[in-house]
Amino acid sequence: MTTLIRLENVNKHYGSFQALNNINLEIKEGEVVCVIGPSGSGKSTMIRCINLLEQYDADGKITVENMSVQKGKDLKQVRAEVGMVFQNFNLFPHLTILQNIMLAPLRVRRMSQEQAETLALSLLGKVGIAEQARKYPAQLSGGQQQRVAIARALAMEPKALLFDEPTSALDPEMVGEVLDVIRKLADTGVTMIIVTHEMGFARQVADRVIFMDCGQIVEQGTPTELFDNPKEVRTRNFLKAVLNH
Amino acid sequence: MRRTLAFATLIILLLAYPLTSFAQSGTDKEIIVGANIGNVPWEFQDTNGEFIGFEIDLVKEAAKRLNREIKILNVPFNGLFSAVQSGRIDIAISSIGITEKRLESMSFTQPYYDSDQSLTTVKGNGINSLEDLKGQIVAVDTGSTGDMWATANQQKYGFAEIRRYEGLAPAMLDVAIGRVKGYISDIPALLYYTKDKPNLEVVERIPTGGRYALMMAKNKPLVSEVNAVISTLKEEGFINALHKKWFGVPAEPTTSTVEIVDMPSANNGNLLNFFDTFLNKQVFLQTYPMLIAGLITTIQLGLLSIISGLVLGLILSLIRLYAAKPLQAIVKVYIDIFRSIPLLVLLIIIFYALPFIGLNLSPFSAAAVSLTLVSGAYTAEIFRAGIEAIPKGQFEASEALGLGYRHMMGDVILPQAIKIVIPPLTNNCINVIKDTALASVVAMPDLLKQATQAQAVAANPTPLIAAAVIYLMFLLPLVLWVSKLEKRYKKEGAK
Repeated sequence: MTTLIRLENVNKHYGSFQALNNINLEIKEGEVVCVIGPSGSGKSTMIRCINLLEQYDADGKITVENMSVQKGKDLKQVRAEVGMVFQNFNLFPHLTILQNIMLAPLRVRRMSQEQAETLALSLLGKVGIAEQARKYPAQLSGGQQQRVAIARALAMEPKALLFDEPTSALDPEMVGEVLDVIRKLADTGVTMIIVTHEMGFARQVADRVIFMDCGQIVEQGTPTELFDNPKEVRTRNFLKAVLNH
Repeated sequence: MRRTLAFATLIILLLAYPLTSFAQSGTDKEIIVGANIGNVPWEFQDTNGEFIGFEIDLVKEAAKRLNREIKILNVPFNGLFSAVQSGRIDIAISSIGITEKRLESMSFTQPYYDSDQSLTTVKGNGINSLEDLKGQIVAVDTGSTGDMWATANQQKYGFAEIRRYEGLAPAMLDVAIGRVKGYISDIPALLYYTKDKPNLEVVERIPTGGRYALMMAKNKPLVSEVNAVISTLKEEGFINALHKKWFGVPAEPTTSTVEIVDMPSANNGNLLNFFDTFLNKQVFLQTYPMLIAGLITTIQLGLLSIISGLVLGLILSLIRLYAAKPLQAIVKVYIDIFRSIPLLVLLIIIFYALPFIGLNLSPFSAAAVSLTLVSGAYTAEIFRAGIEAIPKGQFEASEALGLGYRHMMGDVILPQAIKIVIPPLTNNCINVIKDTALASVVAMPDLLKQATQAQAVAANPTPLIAAAVIYLMFLLPLVLWVSKLEKRYKKEGAK
């Protein structure tokens, strides 16, 4: 399998605070990677560097499909290839569900109105809320909104999807419906990097699990390796803390 | 400023009207005189700020003879009429000519000066008589005898436009710049004004047979008291001595400066009641077309300034937020300056100062440019606040989808910001429309200018009241709409 996303020696400083410390990572096409770790460990920062929502330090290098991720004319192309789903959904409140999904295909992919609408409706069907197409985001539950956000990211037909704690802002009863959608996506072969606190979900869906702490990748491996037989003390302490509550 | 003041006094006048007869009941209190200071040589300021002039000397002497104290207030010419009618001043002076119209609602003493109108121009600008003014713009004082004469004779002489100023100084400034070709006004004032200015010239006397007198409220006892004093002063040769003092030569013996004449009386001289004074139907019907013309100018100026101010403000706010640092700094300076500068000052600079560097704007353009520059600065801050109120996640979601800057702003950010900024923007629009009234200082015939002119011509404040009602009629709904919107957004925000 070919490498889709590559991070080499990526550092990120906020003033004197180092949020990312020498990150080296390769994500293969079709791979599903879950990133776990304590709050403030740099998980979100790392995936936000991949589509340049955060600017990483100049000594590092990130590529997506061999395109360098940096300011310039390639950036739009990179962002079109890498979709993102946010913790707070970030739907556009003034647009209907359908319009939310159609916007980028119309503006970036330059699809016709009919094409975009057909695509949007089929994606809404996929995430199970086709009947809500004409409503506005505020009229939907949190779980439904996050499913719309996933459909919106998929509408660009991206090679990879970044999930930034997609269930953290949801009421507990809605977590399941969103995880189900992501799980189904995983089966379609799209490349995914998922920052999550749902350990059971990570174990089930991930090809590889990465544990981060203090801006570093501490340990990585298959779910079985990492959850059942963690090598590092920090990994063990973290897992003990989250699994025992 | 004057316009705004006139606007405010208007309301106060209305409220104060019932009190005036009560306030005036004592006869021993001081006489309050209103004068359009700057009207040389009748009433103006010397270098010490003292009021001096022919008419100042006259009223001071008259008060002395009546054993009364005197107080002189500076009131613009077209404000004198309502000031007298409302009792805020007892006597108005400003080389006011006696006319039939004015006599219907005012009283005058006997005249003390025979005058004509005159045409004043810059030497060598090719205007040597009224005939040369065909197709040209002429200047007059709002509501003055010159205004009335020019209006009545506009067709006869083919004046392209009559531009109405708030006094001699701004009018002559525009004549000197060349924006208007001639100034039609009282001949004594212009002879006096031009005598030490070799580049200006009074080229024609316009025989209108005007006679100046002191103007007072209708049928007040003070009128005949003062009239008697004037007779005495004529007998003593005091008034003729004033003529010699201020014009250098004595008056001719057959003029009213020397001869005692009868007090003028109106053909239909009834004492006007409140309704006849402030809500006079006949005056309203006569002046209604003028007001509508003014309203159209106000709306045109207001709309143009609002729209261009919106565009300018949006561009400025985007530069302020997203452009390179040095550009941001420049725009910030612009916004700070234009929010601080009084609109009136800016307007005067743009209209009267820019011609000296070759930028000669018409009154309408000068007013539109000033309003746009200021409104743009305010609008920029409103937009900036609106854009900054949009959550960061909206920007990030747009970027993550690969939307370019143009689509991010146009499709996502601005449509949401608009909702936030509509109430403050509407407030700004209301201010712009109200501020159009300031444009009358550059001789723009806006609603309030037309109303003050109509008021002076008809010698009746009804047109001002009508103007106030018109302003209310189209601003009040806007004000109410904003309150409604604000309430609704507050509710939505609270959800």
